[in-house]
Amino acid sequence: MPRAWKSPVTAREAAPTPAAQQQALPFLEPAPLVKPLALAPTRVQRLWFCIWLPGLPLEAARSTEAATAVIEEQQGIQRVLLTDQQARAAGVTPGQSANAALALLPTLQLEERSPLREQQALEALAGWLEHFSSFVCIADRDVLLLEIAGSLRLFGGLPELRKKISTGLRQHGFDASLAIAPTPLGATWLARAGRRACIRDEQNLKRVLRELPLDCLQWPEGICSSLMAMGVTTIGDCLRLPREGFVRRFGAEPMIALDRALGHLPDPRNSWRAPERFCADHEMVQEQSDRERLLNICHELLLSLEQFLLTRQLGTQRLSFSFFHLKGSATELRLGCARADRCAERWLELLRIRFDQLVLPEPVIAIRLRSGMTQALQAESARLNFYGCDDRLTRRYSIVELAERLIARIGEQSVHSLCMVAEHRPHYAWRPQSLLSDWASSTLSEIRRNIRRPLWMLPEPALLPADSGYPLHQGDPLRLLDGPERLETGWWDEHGISRDYYTAVNPAGIRLWIFRNRSQPSCWYLHGYFG
Amino acid sequence: MSASLEKLLQNPRVWRGRNQVQQKTGLASGYPELDRHLPGRGWPTGALTEILTEQYGIGELRLLMPALVRLGAEDAQSNYGEPGWIAWIAPPFQPYPPALMQCGIDLSRMLIVRPRDAGEILWSTEQALSSGTCAAVLFWTETLDDKAGRRLQLAAEKGHSWAVAFRPMAARRQPSAAALRLELHAGNEGTHVHILKSRGGRPTILKKLF
Repeated sequence: MPRAWKSPVTAREAAPTPAAQQQALPFLEPAPLVKPLALAPTRVQRLWFCIWLPGLPLEAARSTEAATAVIEEQQGIQRVLLTDQQARAAGVTPGQSANAALALLPTLQLEERSPLREQQALEALAGWLEHFSSFVCIADRDVLLLEIAGSLRLFGGLPELRKKISTGLRQHGFDASLAIAPTPLGATWLARAGRRACIRDEQNLKRVLRELPLDCLQWPEGICSSLMAMGVTTIGDCLRLPREGFVRRFGAEPMIALDRALGHLPDPRNSWRAPERFCADHEMVQEQSDRERLLNICHELLLSLEQFLLTRQLGTQRLSFSFFHLKGSATELRLGCARADRCAERWLELLRIRFDQLVLPEPVIAIRLRSGMTQALQAESARLNFYGCDDRLTRRYSIVELAERLIARIGEQSVHSLCMVAEHRPHYAWRPQSLLSDWASSTLSEIRRNIRRPLWMLPEPALLPADSGYPLHQGDPLRLLDGPERLETGWWDEHGISRDYYTAVNPAGIRLWIFRNRSQPSCWYLHGYFG
Repeated sequence: MSASLEKLLQNPRVWRGRNQVQQKTGLASGYPELDRHLPGRGWPTGALTEILTEQYGIGELRLLMPALVRLGAEDAQSNYGEPGWIAWIAPPFQPYPPALMQCGIDLSRMLIVRPRDAGEILWSTEQALSSGTCAAVLFWTETLDDKAGRRLQLAAEKGHSWAVAFRPMAARRQPSAAALRLELHAGNEGTHVHILKSRGGRPTILKKLF
């Protein structure tokens, strides 16, 4: 019976009143959220968010609050490229020579334009923008594009998303021109034209693009001037020209660009991918030796690391800090952690332990933080506590955390666990087991019960003084209790042995594990205490 | 018990040393004679024990081994299969795994720490004790002043961990905050244990304990 699971109903319940029937009806209808349209195959609608950063050379170079201008060499003369508000107020304008600008404002900070720094700033920004979209594209040296059609719902609609991005940009210290359009090129042109446009369908796009002036297209100077000479000043004017003639005269490129901007031709873009390893620098204006301040900078770097790892759902087990000095080589500090982690606070705690002991030979001018290999972070489930708050169960932190703290201060070689090795030579019968590596160790679980081994082992066998062939310990002769136990060979490596081991006791009652080599029967060695 | 006596016992200034400590059962040492003389019928866990020896290797580990083995086994039962770790901080020699295993110790729960100086020894010990992860923390140190001893005693209470300090005989005359202080003497016929101080117990000499 297919409906057997239905609970039997009484007659009164089974015959609902008409009113009840009407109330029940809406539940039978399909949920209004599921629109049939959404199920039908439709053309994927894309929406591009363009960020144009006209002031990037200045914003990337700016390091102080003082009036700043970026200069660039043009035809052998250093000319002002961009100025900030303060410099502008003093009359410094783009195109002036550097000397003229300095004459107007002697305190002016002049910065050489640095494409590398601009690129770094742009990449940092792209990394941050990955919060908002999985498709971020560095379209030009001052243009970023985001595909946001897929992000709208998550961020609560277009106005919300736009507000978040624009406030974020302002907080990062960038003055940007934003535009939204269905095609990447269209969005770029709108942003360059300074239109705070938000266009969602292609019909509107065509109408708005028509009005844009030619200078926002960044076409070669020759094309623009010829078009201007023809009285063509807007994109609309261009579109009115016959296509064949336009292509013959200016080449295919501008026409393709126009078609792409209008959405007539596809415009594939490359998605930018952030590097998988984190590396960030913090440069200081002045050398710094105040440790607390250095630690604060490290904290900032760790926070950006956390952000970096968080966006990728990654963690790392190792970090290294480099403290650069003006003279001499950098001071390195490495941190290790047992479990892949991204939490800045935990790293900071480990750093604090190590930083106390770090010797900085000179003041620091820059700090670099690099992460080791990253790995996917695994979530851990906590144990349910059914048994109330038993003190014994509320462990403050686990063994790995304890090991991390110890390692951070004492060093990795000095903190370890133990592990057995299937070996008959006493020295090789065990090895230290790192607490930071995985626990997959093939430790021996069985051991022969009838052999006698001391609880204390000396790191190296110590030669015992001897009196006519008999060993002495602390000046007293030893009495042999047990032995010999012959341990021999290790032909498979360089460290073969051939020894006779004895248990001996000294007059004070201390039991020792001693041996002599078969090749030298008169030389006795102490190898351990029975403790 | 009469009402007035009851009232007197309520007075916070009255210290009932012996009875209070005896409520807490200790960790059986594996040596019945020693257990009989210890107030909790065993080693005081959650407290600091101090063992003084003239030199290391005279039997101090054999004295502890049965308790350390039991610690792992008991913890495994009460703690949902998660026995505590045993930390060795600044051991004078290498604790030898095959011998430890023969005694019945779970090797995968050993933590060996080799700090570089006395300050680091105390720091690591305090970290290990207060972490709550280590069931026992054995440490070897020459210097353990009153303040440090008290700190470690508190850390041991906090982490419910058994702290065992191994110190040279020269430390005998220094005051100590330890709950239990023993002196070990090797002899030809066996090891003698002197109980120098025992909170809630009384000093005794146990001849030829093992």
